Amino acid sequence: MTVLLTLYVLVWPLVVAGVLFVIGRAFYRELRAAKAEGRSII
Amino acid sequence: MLLFFGGSFYMSVRISKKKENADGYMTGGGNIGFGISAASMTATWIWASSMYASATSGYTYGISGPIHYGLWGALMILLIYPFGRRIRAVAPRAHTIAEVMFARHGRSSQLMLAGSNVLGSVISLTSNLIAGGALIDLLTPYTFTQGIIAIAAGVLLYTLWSGFRASVLTDFAQVLAMLGAVVVIIPVVFFAAGGPGLFESGAENLTPQQQDFFSSDAFFNQGAPYIAAVLAYAIGNQTIAQRLFAVREDLIKKTFVTATFGYGATIIGVGMLGVIALYAGVEPLGGDLNNLIPQMAATYLNPALLCLFFVMIIGSLSSTADSDLTALSSIVMTDVYGQNIAGKKRANPRTMVLIGRLTMVVAIAAALVFAGFKLNILDLLVFVGALWGALVFPVIASFYWGRVTNLAFSVAVVAGLAAFLPVRFSWVDLSGGLGLVSDVLSTVGVGIVLGLMAFGFFGKRVALVVGTVATLVAAPFAIGFLHTYPVLSGSLVAYAVSTIVCVGLTLLNKGTFDFALIKERTGDFDTEPGTKSLDDQPRQGEPVAARGEIS
Repeated sequence: MTVLLTLYVLVWPLVVAGVLFVIGRAFYRELRAAKAEGRSII
Repeated sequence: MLLFFGGSFYMSVRISKKKENADGYMTGGGNIGFGISAASMTATWIWASSMYASATSGYTYGISGPIHYGLWGALMILLIYPFGRRIRAVAPRAHTIAEVMFARHGRSSQLMLAGSNVLGSVISLTSNLIAGGALIDLLTPYTFTQGIIAIAAGVLLYTLWSGFRASVLTDFAQVLAMLGAVVVIIPVVFFAAGGPGLFESGAENLTPQQQDFFSSDAFFNQGAPYIAAVLAYAIGNQTIAQRLFAVREDLIKKTFVTATFGYGATIIGVGMLGVIALYAGVEPLGGDLNNLIPQMAATYLNPALLCLFFVMIIGSLSSTADSDLTALSSIVMTDVYGQNIAGKKRANPRTMVLIGRLTMVVAIAAALVFAGFKLNILDLLVFVGALWGALVFPVIASFYWGRVTNLAFSVAVVAGLAAFLPVRFSWVDLSGGLGLVSDVLSTVGVGIVLGLMAFGFFGKRVALVVGTVATLVAAPFAIGFLHTYPVLSGSLVAYAVSTIVCVGLTLLNKGTFDFALIKERTGDFDTEPGTKSLDDQPRQGEPVAARGEIS
């Protein structure tokens, strides 16, 4: 039970790290594309 | 705070234009990429209040508490994306949902939706200021009042000039800070509070219900009302709609799915601070649960991580507060000035931008005044969500069912609200026959909520089956029982009454609406030539069949 509860608490920061990576990578690609085309990202 | 708001201001200055475009000020041109839109959707959905409320839920209901706050909120983001795609398909260049309702029905529907959004956004702004003020009061030498003024000024500073464009760009930086902080802070607090051993040494601090992952207390008091409330939030909230109209149309699904994971993991993760506090036997300062998260941070984090925590909370409240400001400005620009004062043909884009900026100033001043009352954040959230429950069916039906009329929409919403208030606030005695009526309506409401969720993904037939089966299965357990949970009952009754009235009045109408008209009636304010005005066109309810436009 202790192990399960520990995993239950610690799994969320791992998922958050995954989402952070996905968003960060997409933003970087969009920023590069915008610079290459000479336009604002937004 | 200086660094945070200074950095946000610098970002907004980098993208600012001398003459801001009215459509850019409201939706960023409707062509935003996945990275920014996913970040913005995540940041907007995560507000400081939801972090506080999730931790409160964890502390109050035990290990399942954060799930009953965060999971349902996350699933709602996922469940509404099919509706989002439909809304975007019929109104690709709109700015607000209320504007679309004007095009679909007319003024009363538009003003009901706009009014509810103004109320919701002002409450949201207020609760975020309260959360920030409480944090500053607890962790710094400054007072609550000084804290809320500083935050209000900071958010206004970077949002005022460029509006929505500044809001979504700074959302990206705020998401990096927030999510980055969550990755670090939760494990650190967990191990500082005792790590895995805490679950053995602190088990005696929990009641059997708090130790139960399938706690009925947690479900009926927190999870179930929240399921009903957040569906309404997702449909009725202009901050979400604004991002829906801003993201590139083919990226809607990807954006919503990413935000689902981002929001869910972040909020459930922060809720774990409440669970840890419960196991550790922490008592909230002054008995105020809003103090719980700052108190945990102050107890277990070193000064550097405490700064990171501070950024996490300030980031979450700023990202939502700036979204509320831009939502409010869009509503006043489009729904008040653009369509009701000047008229779409005569609306001056430069005047619109000025009105948008003035709206932001007035809104933040109002939120500052309300924040002084220090209301309970969780109660506010559930109340607004339930209030919006009366709007959900009429709004969704208006995008799919051509026979829904302005009268059906308006009367349904008013009837839903009229039924909601006495149940939610126990103004009537529900122990007798009225309780039975309330339970029957609540049971129907269960079927409607689940049916609507199924409808987005699987269509009408599956939705009707799911709704009917859910109502029949719930009936034996719910009737005679649900009225003892007024928060849940009020919300479900609002869904049921508004749906029944809307369907009943709609069936009386034999005409049907041509959805293609919405695309013509909504659109950019900055490109005047060729734009059709609402004032030039027949209103909903006119016999479109006579124009050969039956859809």
